[in-house]
Formats: sequence, C-alpha cells, structure tokens
Amino acid sequence: MSSFFRHRVALPAVAGALAFALTCAAAPAALDMTVGARKLVTNEPLSACNSRAGSALRSVLGSAAEVEDTGEWKGNGPPGAQIGSAAAAAIHCYPIGSGYVVTFTCAAQLPENPDTAIAMCTKLAAAFDAATTAAL
Amino acid sequence: MKPYAFRRLSIFAAAVAALAVWSASAAPAAVEMSTGIRYVMDTGTLADCSAKAKTALGAYLQNVTEASPDSGEWIAFGQNGATSSATSSAAVRCYALPKGYVVTFTCAVQSPENPYNADALCLDVAHNFSGKPVTPLAAMPTPTPVPTGCSATNLFGTWSADDKPGLTLTMTMSGEVTDSDGVSGNWGLKGNTATLTYYGTHTLTLSADGKHLSGDGYHLTRKC
Repeated sequence: MSSFFRHRVALPAVAGALAFALTCAAAPAALDMTVGARKLVTNEPLSACNSRAGSALRSVLGSAAEVEDTGEWKGNGPPGAQIGSAAAAAIHCYPIGSGYVVTFTCAAQLPENPDTAIAMCTKLAAAFDAATTAAL
Repeated sequence: MKPYAFRRLSIFAAAVAALAVWSASAAPAAVEMSTGIRYVMDTGTLADCSAKAKTALGAYLQNVTEASPDSGEWIAFGQNGATSSATSSAAVRCYALPKGYVVTFTCAVQSPENPYNADALCLDVAHNFSGKPVTPLAAMPTPTPVPTGCSATNLFGTWSADDKPGLTLTMTMSGEVTDSDGVSGNWGLKGNTATLTYYGTHTLTLSADGKHLSGDGYHLTRKC
C-alpha cells in the first residue's frame, strides 16, 4: 500500500470515524436551574439597577437585553458559543421606595455549560456588585 | 494502487465524513429562557403569594420547593421520561411590598428535547397563579418501558453461567454488561448472533426462546 493511500485516504477515514463516534456518544444534556440571590438596595435609583444588570449579564454571559422598559433583563451564553445557547440568566429590578429589589435567576445546560446554574448566579451577583465602581 | 480500489476507499472515506457531519449537525440542545411576566398586587400577603406560587408550579412541574423557608421564592422542575432528566423548570419569586406583593415568573426549557417552549410554560404558570384560562401544555414523553421476559430481540436481563456457579452477567438495554465481580463489557445482537465483549470478543448464538446463549466457551441462561 502506498504512503499516498495511507496519508490521503486511510487517515482521514479513521479521523472521520473517530469524530463520528465522539459526536454521537456525548452524554445526554440536562437542564439545571436555580433561584439565585435577592438583594434589597436602598438609596439608589432603578436606573442604577438597570445599568448594573446589563453590565453583569454582558460580563458573565456575553449578552444582555431588557424586556422592553420593565427592568427585567435577560442574557444568553456562554460567551463565544457558536451553536445554540448552553446558559441563560435573568435579572429582575423592581423599585422599592428610594431603592430597589433585584433578583438573579439562572439556567444552564449540563454538561455543555462550564458553570452550573448556581455558579453562574454567584458570578452574576458579584459582577452586579462590582459594577458599582466600574460601570456606573 | 489500482484505480477502482482507490475509488472505493475514497467513497468509504466520504461516507464516514458525511456521517460525522450529519451526526454533528443534528439540532443541538439549547437553553431557552422566558422572562417578562410580573404581577404587582395591591392586596394579599407574602403567604398568599407563596400558596398560589406553589399551586401554580405544581400544576405543571414536579419537585416544587421553596428556596429557603418563608422566602417566597419557589422553583420546580419537569422530568422528561425520554431523557431521564429535567428539561423544563420555572421559578416564581414573591416579594412583599408595603401593600401587597410583587411576583415574577421565569421559565427555562431545554430545546428541542422539551415538548413545549419556555413562553408557553411561563404563561400557563402565571395564568394559573392569577386564575386566568390556561392552554394545555404538550405532554412530557414517558420513559421507554423496560422489557420483561426472555426476548429473542435483545439480551436485556440477568444471565447465569451454566458451568460456573455464582457467576452472573447483567446486561442493560444500552448494551452494557457487568458480571457479579464488577467486571464490565458490552453486548450486541444481530439476528440470533450475539457479540459479547467481555474478556475478549466472543461470538455466541441466542436460542429461539431467548433464554440460552452459547458459543465460544460460554453457556449462559437468562432469568425470566
């Protein structure tokens, strides 16, 4: 058998067979969802909550969009995902007196997403707090 | 190399590559989330909200739990029998106001495995909460029934070695084999010819009644 055959035909065939086996043997995905933190923030306007929510979602998931002008934000990720979305999160802002209450809710598809829903919500809450000095 | 041989191998390589592409391009599972439904009630307590939330979630999902006692934050999951895992979930979060409460609804599903989308789930949970008419959701797939008895179309079940007392082989529907010592392998069946990968690869014959498996030094009897 010539080396041409080995390198141009046999090796790609073996590589193709391996790719087929790997793609078809992936573990079934499962949905993971969690009720994340809830924070009451006093003496800060709702607009600050909106700014932080957008900033946190963009930094953790790579995208953020408000549902009209409701103070409810949603993002999908993870950043750089080529096909579909393995993670999603919602941040809800609601005015209370001179401040607001904010909640974090996260969902992840495991094992595709690198973070569990709990880990993702923890990151979001931290990013929300960090936005106090960075994005505002 | 002869031209016809090269052509055949090229076709084979192309077929393998096409299979790999086809397998990889099957609709990838993705998380779909629904937000946007929020009720602000002028009357009622946090306990009222919690009771409604628990009932609304329980109407469509299982394992309804409160995130922490008396938090008013509820979550539940929908088990998909076809995947043996959760493919839908919803969170209802109540927060007490000086007068009344505010409640938000957030839902997520794994597509395409889940039979309904996140918006449909959230709309039904919210409408159940508020007493509005709901639209029935598509039913979750049920688990594939476990075969019973001795079948000539599979090797599922527990097999005992006729000539080795105490040795049993447990075979699953997914093609796994585990013996009574914990040693594992795989099985396959084509017609009545079984392939057993267990301390090497062996070819055995399944009897017409599906109860006996023999060949290559093995004599096994299925419990059924």
